[in-house]
Amino acid sequence: MWQVLSGVFLGWSLGSNDASNVFGTAVASRMVRFWTAAILCSVFVILGAMLEGGAGMETYAGLLENQTSPNLAFAVGFSAAVTVTLMSFLALPVSTSQAVVGAMVMVGVMESTLDTGSLTKIVACWVGTPIGAAAISVVLYFVLGKLLNRANLTVFTYDRYLRWGLLIGGSYGAYALGANNVANVTGPFVGEGMLSTTEACAIGSGAIALGVLTYSRKVMMTVGRDLVQLDAFTALVAILAEAITVHIYAMIGVPVSTSQAIVGAVLGVGLVKGVKTIQLTTLAKILFGWLGTPAISGGITWVFYLLIKSNGVL
Amino acid sequence: MLWDKQHRVEKMLTEYFNRCDNCFKQLEEAFEIYFSEGPADAFHDAVRKVNHIEANCDDLRREIEYLLYGKALLPESRGDLLGLLETYDKLPNIAETVAFLFSCQCLLLPEDLHPAYKDLFQVNIEAYELARRTVDTVMTNPKATLHVTKDVEHKESESDRLERDLIRAIYKRDISMGEKLALKEAVLLMGKISDRAESLADRVAIMAIKRQI
Repeated sequence: MWQVLSGVFLGWSLGSNDASNVFGTAVASRMVRFWTAAILCSVFVILGAMLEGGAGMETYAGLLENQTSPNLAFAVGFSAAVTVTLMSFLALPVSTSQAVVGAMVMVGVMESTLDTGSLTKIVACWVGTPIGAAAISVVLYFVLGKLLNRANLTVFTYDRYLRWGLLIGGSYGAYALGANNVANVTGPFVGEGMLSTTEACAIGSGAIALGVLTYSRKVMMTVGRDLVQLDAFTALVAILAEAITVHIYAMIGVPVSTSQAIVGAVLGVGLVKGVKTIQLTTLAKILFGWLGTPAISGGITWVFYLLIKSNGVL
Repeated sequence: MLWDKQHRVEKMLTEYFNRCDNCFKQLEEAFEIYFSEGPADAFHDAVRKVNHIEANCDDLRREIEYLLYGKALLPESRGDLLGLLETYDKLPNIAETVAFLFSCQCLLLPEDLHPAYKDLFQVNIEAYELARRTVDTVMTNPKATLHVTKDVEHKESESDRLERDLIRAIYKRDISMGEKLALKEAVLLMGKISDRAESLADRVAIMAIKRQI
């Protein structure tokens, strides 16, 4: 069971990083105290994981045709965690989902147990994440904008509505994060038969919540400030679009990147407002997330695989 | 609680606007005395009251600004309210300046120009009252704000016309250039009330338009 620790480590780093995508705006602009956001985020991550996190676990279980070994599950979790930590340290964009899938694909290739059907579904969803989020944010922008206009809000009521919206949107985003991303953390262990789906959801979401509570403040402030530069309404639209997109993928059962979802959502609003927001660097970051992250994670897994194999612990 | 600061800002802003109203009411009282008695003691007392109320407005404005800088609202609402306060603050300031001009210089207006100065003063007070209405409107019914801001514009144009007529009348008089300049300064300062009222109305209009998505 000690192998599960690699998943806990990965969950902790995921929680400390991805909470910024859902509550960064509210915390960085001090609309919500960090502890209020962290507690809300943790509670909703756990709720999302326990209520809807199972589907993603099954997808990961289906990625490898046969069960392998607990040590390989450890290698997957640990390689993904090392990739996420290394790339965060190098300030490179990173997606936990893509790191985990890269590691699992490498194990599948080495063990000849890769299910290409599941892999195709996952990769298609990765491409669909920013595009879907952009489309949803366009629709939300018009619908919510019309509702707000009709309401004839004063500066104070507008402020109140948007702050409630950001709180509710952030909580929903945290729910979707838990439902979607818990599979990244403990999914490989379900595939190896080490944990039941419920156990995996509980341990994984607990680890994510721990990351949110202990180490997310810094990232929330950094990422949040970028989002704060949007006006509050645009930020609300972006967060809701991200949450809806990630939730949809949670229901389909494919873990996706919340960072890429929010980038897509912001681009969508930018398109509506006619602002030139599509920068080559942003597109390069997304492309790197699709290709670079799984490649690096796969490479690290390959090294681990050879180490485990040569020591005869497989 | 989550919305405590917002409620405090709302209450303090209302109090601030009321204090500014009092400042202008006191200015009106001072000029009623001035036009009937000239720069007498009662007038100087009334001017001191204007000065006192203006100082109170400043104190409260600072308190509100500190509260807003303490992240009381969303950044954009905060920016709007800080801008609104900054623009509004110029109105009690100019009220005080006008009062001090007449009080410190013991300015004596020619008797026959009293009606023209009274008219100019009245139009400028009305411009302030209309600007105040735009603020009330944006705080209660933002969609109606633009209609009220138009009224402020008209009042400001009326004030400009009265200022020009009065300055022409002053320069036609057979008095020294120093007296002419002193009388003109009084006209221009009174006229600044409606200029600043118009700036306030413009800012309020932007606040209302900004929230239309």
